[in-house]
Amino acid sequence: MMSRASFLVTLPLLAILSIGLVPLVTILAWSFWTWDPDTYWIKPDPSLAGYTAILAAGRWTVLLSTLHKAMLAAVLCLVAAYPLAYAIHFLAGRRMKLLLMAAITIPFFTSYLIRAFSWRLVLGRTGPVNTLLVDSDLVAEPLDWLLFSDFAVMVGLVASYMPFAAFPLLLAMRRVEPSFLAAAQDLGAGFWHIVRTILVPLTRSGLFAGFLFVFVMVVGSSTEVQMLGGAGASIVSVMVNDVMRVANFPLAFAISTVVLVVLFSLVLLGNWAFRLSRLFEDAAS
Amino acid sequence: MAIAIHIETVSRRFGDVLALDRVSLDIEAGEFFTLLGSSGSGKSTLLKSIGGFDRPDSGRILFNGVDVTDHPANRRPVNTVFQDLALFPHMSVAQNVGYGLRVQRVGKAALERRVAEALALVDLAGFGERDVNLLSGGQRQRVALARALIMEPGVLLLDEPLTGLDERLREQMRDEFGRLHRRTGATFVLVTHNHDEALTLSGRMAVMHQGRIEQVGTPRQFFDAPANAFVARFVGIEALLTPNSVDPGGHVVIAGQRLPVTGPAIPGALVAIRPDRLSLTHMAEGDTPVTLTIAEIKFRGLHSDIHARFADGQEVIVPAPVDMAASLAPGDPLHLWLGQKGAILVAPHTIPVP
Repeated sequence: MMSRASFLVTLPLLAILSIGLVPLVTILAWSFWTWDPDTYWIKPDPSLAGYTAILAAGRWTVLLSTLHKAMLAAVLCLVAAYPLAYAIHFLAGRRMKLLLMAAITIPFFTSYLIRAFSWRLVLGRTGPVNTLLVDSDLVAEPLDWLLFSDFAVMVGLVASYMPFAAFPLLLAMRRVEPSFLAAAQDLGAGFWHIVRTILVPLTRSGLFAGFLFVFVMVVGSSTEVQMLGGAGASIVSVMVNDVMRVANFPLAFAISTVVLVVLFSLVLLGNWAFRLSRLFEDAAS
Repeated sequence: MAIAIHIETVSRRFGDVLALDRVSLDIEAGEFFTLLGSSGSGKSTLLKSIGGFDRPDSGRILFNGVDVTDHPANRRPVNTVFQDLALFPHMSVAQNVGYGLRVQRVGKAALERRVAEALALVDLAGFGERDVNLLSGGQRQRVALARALIMEPGVLLLDEPLTGLDERLREQMRDEFGRLHRRTGATFVLVTHNHDEALTLSGRMAVMHQGRIEQVGTPRQFFDAPANAFVARFVGIEALLTPNSVDPGGHVVIAGQRLPVTGPAIPGALVAIRPDRLSLTHMAEGDTPVTLTIAEIKFRGLHSDIHARFADGQEVIVPAPVDMAASLAPGDPLHLWLGQKGAILVAPHTIPVP
């Protein structure tokens, strides 16, 4: 007989499975079907056409550059968020802590579209950054590479997704008692040695979770590239959109499947290497 | 090598609170010194200043005559056993104990040998590969001690290391501290709010209150001549009586009874009655008889506490064997003997006594 507790667990589990898994399995299955020009839809003829199409027309370079962007943005977000999380956890007083945590959520206050657009104004030829640089005679001409470039895309991505790195790091830092740092110092370790031997090892799960969150968000992003990227800049989401517009569904599903496989392997690898589950253990244990 | 600590007019302010108020203190090389005080007395701040975790606003701290006030914790020949022990949870016992030596880049062979020695010193031989998170409270305590002692510190600081342990374990670790102090010969500085710990362990101790040192001396001196009413109560002399009059010849009158006292006759002085010198039987030549009235008898397990009052209502507590106390009742007269130097004149304390 099923106990009451396992019955209660079953319902949310079914809900999560159906919400999360059903679309993913559908995508996976349909990526092996064939496009049917008669119906403008797909038919269940097993085929690898979608996958071979990825290799054509340089689509795989978009895939690679997306992964590269995601990797770089995730690392930059961690580099920015780590000192921030450190300061919030160890240095700030109670009020300051709340204030800083509220400040981290500011990117969520406006639509991502507006946010990306505002970077156009900031980084443009007549924007505040260029004005400042020219006025202070650091450069003679306004810098053109500030906007519609990979640089601008990266600025937009980091600004948007840094909170996703900061919160797991904050969560992880709760496991680090201030007395651990004092004890390491007491035993003769300098600041960087403490960071390397105490802080980073104890926050590894947070580092990986933050990396993963940002990585996933960037792989799924499109606005920043469309608004801030240069001519011809693309990213997986944009490419999928383009492919869908010409109704090449198997190709769109195949691209999505490749991305899914990459992301899932990353999660499994990370969980194995960094014990992601530790992040949600109580600080005391 | 043991280090002598010289603390010179050290002050430290946190916002409105003066945690240390021009504290001066000398701790001799190799002694077991205790800073005793309640929370907020400044004892932990003083310990942090010695350890290098907190910088005084003014004043100097010298180790063997060398000014170390500006040296950070990692550059002082001092090691600390923290209140929460602060064992590194991602390291094994051996990795915890060897941390300081690895910072110093001690070679693998020497490292392993010294870790084994340190673990043997605290009776944890063979525990090196254990997970620190799975040790008992007493074992964790020993790991923290080994981790500090392996550094062969000139000064070992113990920041309330026994709070949070049960009574039996506390007793056991207390003996351990004494043994390790004799073995290592280092200067030990213990911070505690427990006067039992202070009295049994220290060679000398200081009672701190509101950022100042009230008295420094051997534990005995605190009973023979407590500096004031606060100190007397802090070391366990609960009976502090207000005399009707003080004779210059070394006597006081309390509710009509004349008692011999020691100590200087300061205006407004109180009479501290040492509980160990108040007895139900005549113990020695020169004991003074005191007659009180029993107010209450409280059963305490192995003995009973008799609360007895003077005619004016001032109370003392006398421990008595349970069987004897059973034969007494509230309202009965109680004949006591006050031993030599059992009553001491102490300065009143302007600050409210806890």
